[in-house]
Amino acid sequence: MRKQTSPTIAGDSFLHRPLSAAGARLRMRDDEEILFDSGRRHPWKICYPWLIPILLCLCFLTPASPALAHRVLVFAYAEGDTIHTESKFVGSGAVQQGQVQILDQKTGKVFLTGTTDDQGKFSFKIPPEAAAQRLDLLVVVEASMGHRGEWQMKAESYLPTAETAAGAAPIAPGSAAAVAPAPEASTTPTPPVPPEIRAPAVDRQMLEDAMNKALERQLAPIKEMLTELTIHRTSLTDIIGGIGYIMGIFGLLAYFQSRKKKDS
Amino acid sequence: MHISEGVLSPAVLGAGAALAAAGTAIGLKKMDYDAIPRVAILSAAFFVATLIHVPVGPVGLHLVLNGLMGLLLGWAAVPAILTALFLQALLFQFGGLTVLGANTVIMALPAVVCFYLFRPLLRRPGIAQSVGAFACGFTAILLSALLVAVALISTGQAFLQVAELAVLAHIPVMFIEAVITLFIFLFLKKVRPEMLEDLYA
Repeated sequence: MRKQTSPTIAGDSFLHRPLSAAGARLRMRDDEEILFDSGRRHPWKICYPWLIPILLCLCFLTPASPALAHRVLVFAYAEGDTIHTESKFVGSGAVQQGQVQILDQKTGKVFLTGTTDDQGKFSFKIPPEAAAQRLDLLVVVEASMGHRGEWQMKAESYLPTAETAAGAAPIAPGSAAAVAPAPEASTTPTPPVPPEIRAPAVDRQMLEDAMNKALERQLAPIKEMLTELTIHRTSLTDIIGGIGYIMGIFGLLAYFQSRKKKDS
Repeated sequence: MHISEGVLSPAVLGAGAALAAAGTAIGLKKMDYDAIPRVAILSAAFFVATLIHVPVGPVGLHLVLNGLMGLLLGWAAVPAILTALFLQALLFQFGGLTVLGANTVIMALPAVVCFYLFRPLLRRPGIAQSVGAFACGFTAILLSALLVAVALISTGQAFLQVAELAVLAHIPVMFIEAVITLFIFLFLKKVRPEMLEDLYA
């Protein structure tokens, strides 16, 4: 009988096991209600202390770990009549078996396609059409799962400039553009050239060739460094700034909602 | 998980943007004043977690935490994920502004689906709850990987091939996220049961 009459007396509940369970349940519900109520009254007091250490840990891990691995970085440079491209995921290495497309930047016409090797490299001969019309090229690399990178290649960067071509020195021997205008350019200013005077021009051409090769070799590490520099790596400041933005946006939202609450 | 700019066709981008807008509207409507700090904190957690890459496999993987977000936020996960992705696109050129809608759908839709899918399980006491939390974290990533494949169909890539690659690549993430979701759920249940009260009472 006592079982039914005194379920609220928690003091003697240890005598009756089923009762103690009921008592505990009752008390728990009270607790929950109190907690819930206090939460309602002070919404900003519900902070989640457990998340703060997690967030902080994540923050401090980030600079050490390669972030932004999902951005595909493409870099291309010309060497003679060949353009070399290198593609990599920022931080985590080469884009293997990525689809490379070489497009005309203006019309989007595809000149050629290819696949990167295990080092993420892909080389191709300059398309004669592009060289003849001095088109700006766009190198597009598509890696798996929707990752994509681009590199713009201006005509000046893969073709010898107009002045050097006019200077009777076709720098890249195989390049169609360089070969085509060169004879005209060299013949128009000085039509009656005796063969004895032409000889130093050939020397000059060889010299320039050699210099170009040496320069390319010397500049390679600098090019590499430049690509490294163009990568914007995520820094701690960025991340903390981002978190700040998020808090600010939701703070604004809370502000407007609180005003709506007051108005109604 | 982040699809780059210029990969998807305009139709997919438009559909993604429309779906994301609708989801955000519903999410904002369902999000009351008291839920805002929670949404903000989980949005920040998502923002940070998706930036950290572990170089595994061909691409490098990162946590997404969308299972956890679905579990704790329901529809409000959509505005939370949208905000974080918007900032990533703006600050890090991560994803992109035109693909923002599609990327939001890829990560937020599984969160909402998992919320409804596992709510009955999470309401039950005992081991069922734990199984629900684990499955919630696991399924959200699986669905996200499949959605990536669906989005890429329009580019002419074979669905099965991409789906296989995406799912295989994300298997480690699925397990890690499942465990993280489980632990955070159990931890919250013990320390702050009132947080789960309104969703799983």
